[in-house]
Amino acid sequence: MEDFNPVTMFAILRESLGPWLWGLLLIALVLVVGVVSAAMKLRSARRSPKHPIIAAALAGGVATAIFFMLVPGWTMATHAALNGPVDYLVAILIAFIPGGGIAAMVFSMASWRCARRTPAVCDKSMA
Amino acid sequence: MNRRQFLLTGAALAAVNGIALSNVRAATSSAKARIVIAGAGAAGLALASRLRRQMPQAAITVIDEKTAHHFQPGFTLVGAGLWSPDDVTFRNADFMPSGADWITEAVAEFDADSNTVATSSGRRVPYDFLFVATGLALDYERIEGMDRSLIGTNGIASIYANPPAAAASFRAIDAFVDQGGVGLFGRPTTEMKCAGAPLKVTFITDDLARRKGRRSAVKLVYNAHNPTVFSVPPVHDRVTQMFAARDIAVNFSHVLKAIDPGAKRATYETPEGVVTFDYDFIHVVPPMRAPDAVMNSPLPWQHGPLATDGWVEAEKATLRHPRYANVFAVGDIAGVPRGKTAASVKWQAPVVVDNLVAETSGKEPLATYNGYTSCPMVTAYGKAMLIEFDYDGNLTPSFPFISPLEELWISWLIEEKGLKGAYRAMLRGLA
Repeated sequence: MEDFNPVTMFAILRESLGPWLWGLLLIALVLVVGVVSAAMKLRSARRSPKHPIIAAALAGGVATAIFFMLVPGWTMATHAALNGPVDYLVAILIAFIPGGGIAAMVFSMASWRCARRTPAVCDKSMA
Repeated sequence: MNRRQFLLTGAALAAVNGIALSNVRAATSSAKARIVIAGAGAAGLALASRLRRQMPQAAITVIDEKTAHHFQPGFTLVGAGLWSPDDVTFRNADFMPSGADWITEAVAEFDADSNTVATSSGRRVPYDFLFVATGLALDYERIEGMDRSLIGTNGIASIYANPPAAAASFRAIDAFVDQGGVGLFGRPTTEMKCAGAPLKVTFITDDLARRKGRRSAVKLVYNAHNPTVFSVPPVHDRVTQMFAARDIAVNFSHVLKAIDPGAKRATYETPEGVVTFDYDFIHVVPPMRAPDAVMNSPLPWQHGPLATDGWVEAEKATLRHPRYANVFAVGDIAGVPRGKTAASVKWQAPVVVDNLVAETSGKEPLATYNGYTSCPMVTAYGKAMLIEFDYDGNLTPSFPFISPLEELWISWLIEEKGLKGAYRAMLRGLA
């Protein structure tokens, strides 16, 4: 395990994913920027993040569940191959990568929409 | 003072101060040594990449006529019908570090007494340090009646020969499952690369038959070359138990001696004498030995169990040749117990490079190799056991949350998705 330092892990990822790595990193960066800017927009509009968070959690949860069903097939296996708690945990973590991305996207979109609306629509408590 | 001593002394005096010795940044040496690497396989390229970075002023020459590079750990997945030959075929040129001189000729002769390597064109390449990384030779001809051109015909499979042979092996397995009959598996009595692969092919054939609803139509027999199916006792126990549960018969101390492809008959040497089995399918694992250039040189062991097939004499912990101190053996050709896997190379290459860097910097070489090797033992489509062990047969799991003797999807995930990237990073000296 001591050999799995960040440099090594990045090298392995780069070799595994090839040019896709840069595309995925770009998507991750866009999502992070989107979440941060959306959160700032909410804050400047004095809106609560409650509704965007709920929407993101729901969308992310559904997406993670869907991708969890697809993960074994991505490795040319079936769900019957999952054989222990560590298998399920790792499959969920892998599914959470696209699920988390979708959650971030939904949070960003919901936050911008919320910030543009009147306070009564998104958050009566802060009106 | 000979050239090597001069280099060592000079490099020691010129050793760079303040060399970073952290876990992330490797130590370097400014020695202007002439380094020859014989072979551009997994070991050769990993060595070349590391030496280029850690000994930037050394003249590094790689000798190998092969331009294609095969990701051999993936042959099992080609043989399972999941990957194509293209998935395991790279170009050596893509991994050759810039600044290394690559002679695209075969190694013809090692003259360790005069510190030169001769190539197939007769060119003699002098060296101060030699890394023997030739890989090994598959000796199909040692099995009477066997020829690698038979792979894919007459119910004969062998995933070892090359990627197309591995693909042809899957077609043979698939046809056997469809037609039914007796399938024979086994391994040679020689040292061999990836000793888990014969077991994997057996498990894959069993699982394919079950998935097709044809398990009752096939009889599977594993002929172990000695009294065990795997040299590590807990793995032997586990695999034996799994074979029994899956109705895979095991014969111990059966060594394939000859096959008759036309009659589909295999002859085995056993302690009780020669026995012959009829078969409908057979997975042939060839005997393995050192390439001729190594066999005909003074480098192999001169006596002992590793002498017969020409494995290069090497100290277990340092991979240094005990009779030629400027020669190292890395990868399949190294005459050490076990250690003929890409995972072994991953741990061997840093040890020999770090020790050479230390030595040429006037420091004491302290790195040691404990015999680590790894075998992601595929036990079914989608399941594997991540077995790692050392010279002493101790299980040495890298991940505390992965039980080495448990069939898990995460171990399959590592095999199917993780190993190739790690292997390619290793070739670049980054893993």
